[in-house]
This record gives sequence, C-alpha cells and structure tokens, in this order.
Amino acid sequence: MKGPKAKKICRTLIIFSWTLAAALLGGVPVLEGKTFVFPEISGWRMPEKPQLFSPTTLYEYINGAADLYLSYEFQDLNVAEYRNEREAAVTVEIYRHKSPTQAFGIYSQERLANANFLDIGTQGYREPMVLNFLAGPYYVKINGYNTGVEDEKIMLIFGRKVEEMLGEKNSLPEILSSFPAEGKKKNTEKFISKNFLGYSFFHSGFTADYERSGKKFKIFVIQGNGQEDCRSMMEKYLQQTDPQVKKASEGAYRLKDHYHGEVDLFWKAKFIWGILDLEDPALRSEYLKQFENIVKK
Amino acid sequence: MIKKEMGRRDFLKSTAAGLGGFVYLSSSEKSPDEKGQEKKEGKITYRILGKTRMKLPVITMGVMNTSNPALVRAALDGGMYYLDTAQTYQRGTNESMIGEVLKGRRRDSFYIATKARLPNNQNTGIYTEEATEEAYSKKIDTSLKSLGLDYVDIYHHHNVWVRESALYEPILNSLVKAKKAGKIRFLGITTHRNEPEVIHAAVDSKVYDVVLTAYNYRQKHAEEVQKAIARAANAGLGIVAMKTIGGNVGGSYHEEKIDAKAAFKWALQDPNVHTIIAGFTTFDQFELDISVLNDLTLLRSEKENLRRAALRAGLYCQGCGSCLTQCVRQLPIPDLMRAYMYVYGYRNLGAAQDLLSSLSLPPNLCGDCSSCPVKCLNQWNVSERVQNIVRLREIPPEFIA
Repeated sequence: MKGPKAKKICRTLIIFSWTLAAALLGGVPVLEGKTFVFPEISGWRMPEKPQLFSPTTLYEYINGAADLYLSYEFQDLNVAEYRNEREAAVTVEIYRHKSPTQAFGIYSQERLANANFLDIGTQGYREPMVLNFLAGPYYVKINGYNTGVEDEKIMLIFGRKVEEMLGEKNSLPEILSSFPAEGKKKNTEKFISKNFLGYSFFHSGFTADYERSGKKFKIFVIQGNGQEDCRSMMEKYLQQTDPQVKKASEGAYRLKDHYHGEVDLFWKAKFIWGILDLEDPALRSEYLKQFENIVKK
Repeated sequence: MIKKEMGRRDFLKSTAAGLGGFVYLSSSEKSPDEKGQEKKEGKITYRILGKTRMKLPVITMGVMNTSNPALVRAALDGGMYYLDTAQTYQRGTNESMIGEVLKGRRRDSFYIATKARLPNNQNTGIYTEEATEEAYSKKIDTSLKSLGLDYVDIYHHHNVWVRESALYEPILNSLVKAKKAGKIRFLGITTHRNEPEVIHAAVDSKVYDVVLTAYNYRQKHAEEVQKAIARAANAGLGIVAMKTIGGNVGGSYHEEKIDAKAAFKWALQDPNVHTIIAGFTTFDQFELDISVLNDLTLLRSEKENLRRAALRAGLYCQGCGSCLTQCVRQLPIPDLMRAYMYVYGYRNLGAAQDLLSSLSLPPNLCGDCSSCPVKCLNQWNVSERVQNIVRLREIPPEFIA
C-alpha cells in the first residue's frame, strides 16, 4: 500500500536503528495460563471467587517476597479461601513455576530441615495450620485458621484434594542423589536459580548442608550446559582471584575467594562440584575424591 | 527492661572501594543536624533517619532476595550496616540466616529492621478477625528468636495499603507494648500500593517513627508519593524507599536492562528519602550500589535512560495466558502485545512486522466483536492495542528500515 495513508503511518512511527537483544527476537514461548478449578470440599464453601495473580501483580499478595518467587520463574498464583459453618478458614495457594526444578527451588528456600515431612505430591510437610508441598511445577501452600483440634485432619483433606486435582507426581531433581551421603543433613538441599554464590557468571546451582566431626560446611554442584559452559564459568571464577588466568582445564582447584574464603572445586565435563566453609584439608581432599567418582559414573 | 538509646561510639571509615574494613555506627549525637540532612564522610553519603536519629548510608541492604550469608557479610563489612528483612521472607529462614551472620558481631555495629503481617482481606486490605494483638505480639517474639537478638531497631507493620489498616489498633497496641518492653526501638510501616494514603495515615497516627515505601521514577503517582513523603519527613518520620529500580518483574524472558544507578540517584535527589534498601543478589550489584554512596549527582544521560525506561514501562506482556481463553476469536494476544512492545518500546518496526507476518492472522482480527471480553491482568486496553498494532500490516516492508 502506498500513498498518504502509509506515509502518515510512517510519520507517526519513529524509525530508529535499534537492535533488539536476541532473547526478545528469539522464540519466546507463549505460556498458556492453566485454568485451575479449585476442588469442592464437603462442608466447606468459598465465600469469594478465587484470585489469580500474575508476575506483575504477585507483590500485591506477598509484597517483597515476590521478587524471590519471580527469580524462580514464577508463572501464576491461584488462591482460594474456604470457610465452614464454624467459620474455620483454609486458604489454598497454588504457585505455578516454569519447571519442577524451579518449583523445587522456591520450595527448598522455605523448607526447614527438621519439618514434619509427609508423603504428599513430590514432597511436603506439615505444621500446625500449615501444609506445604511440591507437585511437579507447582508449589502448594495451605494455611488454616481456627481449625482447632481437627487441624491435622482438615489440612490433610485439603492437601489430598489439591494433590489429586493437580495430578503431578514428579521426583525431586535427580542430581540431589549424587551428593555424597556421608555427613549430609537430610532435607537441606537447595536450588539457587541464578547468581549462584553471588556471582552473575554462575547461573544456577544446588547446595546441601553437611556436618562431620563437629564441622559444618556446604557442598554444592553447578550443572553447566556442557563442558564449554563450565569452562567459561570456571575461568571467570578463577579470574576473580587471579586476573592472569586465561584458560581452565578440568580437575581440582583450591581458591581464595574474597567473599567465601577458601573454596575447593572439582570440574569435569558439565559439572562443577565445590566445598564451602570447611577448614579441614584432609576432609576436603576426601570429598574431592568422591566428586571425581561421582562424575565418572 | 527498657534499652537506652545508643550512646557515643567510634566510627571507622570503610575502604576506598567500600569493601573490607569494619564500620562502627556513628553516634547520632555527633550530628545534631536537622532531619534528613546529608553528610559525606570519606566516600559514603549519610542521612539521618528522621527522629530515630540513626545515621544511615543512603543505600542499605534489603535482604529478601538472597539466602547467601556471604552477601550479607559483605554488606555489613562494607559499610551497609542497616539490614531489612521480614518474617515472611523464605518462611522465616531469611531472618535465621541473618541471625547466623550476626553472631559474634557487636550489637552496636548494625541496625536491623524486620516486619510481620497478619491475615487481611486481599481485596479490601482490611484486617480479618484473626488479626489480634496477641497474634502480632507472637510474631514479634518469633522474629527476635529467629534473629537471635534481644531487640530490633525497627519493627514494621508490613504491607499496608489502606488507612484503616494503618491505624488498626490491635497491631499498634502490640507494637507500642513491644517498644515499651524494649523489644523494638522504633515502629515502622511498609507499603507497596496506595502509598500516599498509608503515609498520611502514618503521620496522622502520631505513633509511627519510620515509613518504608515503594518510590521510583516509573510510578504514575510519583508526585503524590513525593508530597506524602515530604509531609512525613517534616513530621519527623524516617523515610526508607524500596522498589526504586521500578523494573519489570515479569520473569525470565522479559528482563530489562535498567540503569539501576540512575534509578537510585533519582530517588535520592529527594532529600526526604533518607535511605534506599537495595535488594542486590550479586557482589557486582553490591559494588555498583556502593559506588552510588559516593556521588549522588544524576547525570543528563542517566535522566534520559530513566525517561526511556519509564516510556517502556507498561509494555511487557507477562505471558500469563489469561487472555487466550477469554478472546472469542482466539487471537494470539501475547504475540500481538509483543509486537506492540517492539514498536512502542524499542522502535523496531521490522521486528514487529516480521512477528505479525508469522502469526497467520485473519484479515479482520476482531471480527464482529462489539466489545472486548479480555480482561488483561496488566489492565491494558487489549483491543485498542491490537487494533493499533495490526495497522503495521498495511505498511510495505520496504518502507520499514
């Protein structure tokens, strides 16, 4: 089409020579909002319609805590409140994240190692008036009020109904089973989705807490996209302590990290294993050998 | 037992890079300045937090986004000795993590602000019957236990957006009693929306000492917030700003490059803002934030960056997909919104046109729809944007650079 109309459109649209970042032009997935129908539960009613929160509006529900959820690729939150005749109340929050690993990440940030764990969904736990669990890409949080002596029963009824409705039964991230068993404190594993250890060049990582001979420390693993990805991360990390470093090769390293103190690393293929906060060189060497064996498998 | 105000203490300057070293708190008696007045010591700019008389670096740490104790240590050791957390962050583990970091540190070498909330109606913001004084007092005790402290410097009434809740007596009673018991030094209130109403209520209450409010260059009502902040500061309240970067929070595939330094400086041009809590999650971000402490001058180029960023605000589709089930014509609305963003946010008509071509759109998009059933969670006028952007199809590609 030519003529005045096209020229008018062109005049009103300012043309610049900007180039969009590849991420904007690339194949950005269009997410489909999952229609979620809250279950009917005998003896309970929903006095108000369920609410839906998006990444833009999540802060309206959980204020400053929203940023952390967003860093775990939060997609949406469905919330419903139920009440019964005795005016006990139960709120069901269903956080959907982009993947089961991302959902595990935020779940792991809020999970206490000494929680009362249940076999529900992928994993869950209960406290008075609280039942939280993981189910595939969903992180479910159920809170009760005025549930009285029937609290446990009520929480479980709601939990099972939601679990059934979601129909997701994944396992925890596979890599967690690779952590050395000796000294590991159960249910302390966490997934950090970005800026692992506080460095923007480390994308994500898993950590677990350990204790041996009265010494507390952490073991972590970063899973790269491949060997070259790990090489790039290693070199950037090594350059933090020695800007002269040009190339990294697979194997073991000991770094003096300005922020974390002495850190031992073992890189092989697409895995970087590491130990933090352990001052015992012999114990560190023992774990480094174990990392070597893990990667060989 | 009532704790007395902090007395005179030594003060050591941080290193040139703002890293390393150990900073003691400066005595407020050393600076009997007017509230909000600025002081530069070495490479750090300080302001007084209202009637609390706490002298704070103009950038301090919001801990909510991290579980990394090394970052908190870096902040404390680097001169950011004011930490902000909340009981809800990571279900209390954020407070516990901070508590571990604080072990062994002199109590007078840091300030801690934390907060708690009680159940309210999410639509009205009004407290429900579960919100009792006793429940709130338990929250305060829980925070102290998690942090491993006998007292905190500020305890905030968390996430308030209506006047009625700001003045809610059970919570105010709990806070006042906790103050009298020496568990908290100062009362605060936090707000993320409807900020002017909450700030004015805080002033009118004559109970609050500090306000923590969202404040940034993108807020459509920034002028109202500014006026409310001015009134509060003139009444002696300390003003802490948050969400100052004002960026898109849309998720992994819409991350903007925002000039964070410029955004901080914008907020700090307002002398009534006494400090900003920055939610950094990397050491690089921490070092960038430290650099702002040195020089608050907002450059022309930085102003321009913010102007453009403000223009782009409100153009990012979050991809929630709600519209897909609402549109009776089953239009690919998220993609159309993306095309809209390419044009009006990035001035990239080529990318927009390519995208439109790839979508196999019908000639008449909205068909016979006399009204649009789509209710966008961003509150956009979707049909108007759709009608606007599809006009691009009428322009021959050779007209577009």
